[in-house]
Amino acid sequence: MKLSAFFLLLLSFNVSAMTADKESAKLSLERLSNSLRQLNFSTSFVVVKNNQAEPYHWLHGIGENEQELEIFTRLNGPRLDVLRQGDVVSYIEPDQEPYSIISSDVRSPIPTIFRGDISELEESYRFISVGRSRILGRVAQLIRVVSKDKYRYNYWLWLDQKTGLLLKMAVLTRQGQLLEQIQFTHIEVDEQLSENLKQFQLTELPAVIDLTMQRQNKALSWQVGWLPQGFSVVKSNQHKINSHNRGRDKAVEFMLFSDGLVEVSVYVNPSQEKFRAPEFASDGATMVFNQILQGIEVGVVGDIPLATAKKIAESISPAIIDNAKANDLSSKGDQKHD
Amino acid sequence: MSEIKSESISSLVDNYSPSTDESISAHLVDNMLKDEDLSSTWQNYHLIGDVLRDEVPQSLQLDLSETISAAIAQEATILSPNSSMKTSGKNSHLSKQESASISNNSTEQQTNSVVDATNRFKAKISNLIKPMGQVAIAASAAALMIVGVQNNVTDNSSITPSQVVQTVPLSGYANPVSFNVQSSQGQQSQQSKQQAQQAMNEQLASERVAQQRRLQALLKDHNQQVKLGSNIK
Repeated sequence: MKLSAFFLLLLSFNVSAMTADKESAKLSLERLSNSLRQLNFSTSFVVVKNNQAEPYHWLHGIGENEQELEIFTRLNGPRLDVLRQGDVVSYIEPDQEPYSIISSDVRSPIPTIFRGDISELEESYRFISVGRSRILGRVAQLIRVVSKDKYRYNYWLWLDQKTGLLLKMAVLTRQGQLLEQIQFTHIEVDEQLSENLKQFQLTELPAVIDLTMQRQNKALSWQVGWLPQGFSVVKSNQHKINSHNRGRDKAVEFMLFSDGLVEVSVYVNPSQEKFRAPEFASDGATMVFNQILQGIEVGVVGDIPLATAKKIAESISPAIIDNAKANDLSSKGDQKHD
Repeated sequence: MSEIKSESISSLVDNYSPSTDESISAHLVDNMLKDEDLSSTWQNYHLIGDVLRDEVPQSLQLDLSETISAAIAQEATILSPNSSMKTSGKNSHLSKQESASISNNSTEQQTNSVVDATNRFKAKISNLIKPMGQVAIAASAAALMIVGVQNNVTDNSSITPSQVVQTVPLSGYANPVSFNVQSSQGQQSQQSKQQAQQAMNEQLASERVAQQRRLQALLKDHNQQVKLGSNIK
């Protein structure tokens, strides 16, 4: 054991400084992943975006049978909670009935991948260990997760030297413009499971909803012609979204893509309007893009720059033509590409 | 060695080339220009010649070559390499002829200074144009950025007030809500109608509101789908 460690040490001296730097960055991120899954911690953080600050409380712990327990609570405004007992994740949201799903992911302001397999990000991002600074009164190691192309944002993570936990996170454009920030304001790591989580362990979560319908990936009449390197389909379906301006639901074809860190949704539906100029809005780092071209409405949502969203929207083309209607639409689609 | 040299200098002063070969006399002139002793010898011989011919002016200007070289040194710095080559060539020519006649010399200097002035003017312009081009590029980039930022800002403000979340406490989520999802959506659309009226009161264009809603609906659905989507991975 000792001998192998010695050889490892020798090897690590042999590799160049550059790779050593990269390796140390990856090791830090792997440590973060382990810490987020294994430690009992109680933290508070603030999400800063759109000139607003949203405070959250975040508890995590290991309960009986090695079960992970977790509570995310938004502290301002209407209740927004994410609760987790092992594989059961519950979302309590203001405009919806509370529900639970069976999932290994917890959707919170903290990207899910940071508690998962970091190496999934290596196709699209580089990890760079930059240096140390002082965050939250602690020694922090700054790791930059840098996009390999211009189609994504960059992520800066300040990780606690002592516990490996996240102390601060920033989402920046390639030009260095800050879009969104998460600043931790309090961190407490404990050997024991906190009292809150002990009580939570006994709480019954809302009923698990059935997602078997969701799971069927139906064949769609549209396809995305272009995506940045590293994105792959997570799911595709047809569903209805609440279209406020007409007071009724609107059927859309939906595709969800992910590169591990960032999710991009693409919505396509035929529209009565022939043309509507591209419109967009950003919510922190999240870009919402919508346009109608040749009677086809395309929406793209995700943490990507506007240019990327636009390029994805313009790459929409008809899939296999199997009926007259699709034929009609496809001819329109062809015109669009002229 | 030096005697031979001073002899050939002397013959140069008397306007006789020490040898028939042009290159040798040119070489000698070059050496003379480099060597201070030789050039002072050259100077002295001229002075001696002037005195012998009784051509000494009223006020003696013994250090004429020095003032000229100082003037050259001052001028040469601004010019581009090509033009400085030209002037230095002229200057060596000048120093060769310099003391043959002072009046001749002064006309030479005048033409020289004219050439210098035009060259300096060109150099100045090219120096001016370069940074101006850079500034223009930077300025246009900055302008682009400003436009981009303004776009972003306006759209930010368009989406922040329309947060569906904010309208919810008005109708009171604390009240028991029907388990029927459809009805809660109906409530929402009512709220959004209220919102629309408010927006009209505030004299916001209805198209803008519709746009906000479209984008808001997309954002909301995206967030929802991401949560559910995690199940499939």
